[in-house]
Amino acid sequence: MPNLSEKELLVVYADDDPDDIELVTEAFERYANNLTLKTFSNGLTILSFLKNLSIADNLPCLIILDINMPAMNGKECLKQIRQIDQYKDVPVVLFTASVSDRDKEFAKLYQAGFITKPLSSVQMDVIAAGFIEHCNSEIQKLIIR
Amino acid sequence: MSSEDFLQLTYQEQIELLTAEGLYIGKRGRQPKVSLLFQLDSFYVEILYEKYRLRIASIRCSTSTSILDPYFELMDVPLVVYEFRIS
Repeated sequence: MPNLSEKELLVVYADDDPDDIELVTEAFERYANNLTLKTFSNGLTILSFLKNLSIADNLPCLIILDINMPAMNGKECLKQIRQIDQYKDVPVVLFTASVSDRDKEFAKLYQAGFITKPLSSVQMDVIAAGFIEHCNSEIQKLIIR
Repeated sequence: MSSEDFLQLTYQEQIELLTAEGLYIGKRGRQPKVSLLFQLDSFYVEILYEKYRLRIASIRCSTSTSILDPYFELMDVPLVVYEFRIS
């Protein structure tokens, strides 16, 4: 098994809005050179991908979930992700269009972060950094900017 | 806060307030010209983009529910009902 420094850093992101996927992809491309962002259009497809990975595979260092998605929303997906042993401690961020105390509480209950979708270029510039802050410090040190 | 007070704020202040307290209602239009609609207190705020989430063309406010109409037309009603039921 490759050691941590040799592994490709994988971030997975589910969102049904292709425009948001494009923006976040561009933000990560600008932010880091050794980080791969794999995207999905709903909670079911990302969950199926995650379930098919084994501990020997390159597990994601971060999972980003939009809340409002068809087929399976981000909250249900988070709940199911936390029931899988290998993802119990993987950082997850709920990425949402508006702040709701209920959603924030839900994120906390399942040890997930909570980030509001940016509305301006100023907020967009810091979005990748905001996501990465949720990764553990070992992973943060491996990111080449 | 009233819509008049909101309009007195700078774009940056308006954006910060919407991010912190705005209730997202919907999105319409196609890239790059997309609009997002939020509810803030008792009025609605629509952000019209020149470039989606990056360059704002204008921000307008309304207390009339007619501003919702074009967003409602685009809504996936069965999904909204489903989300409401499970929440």
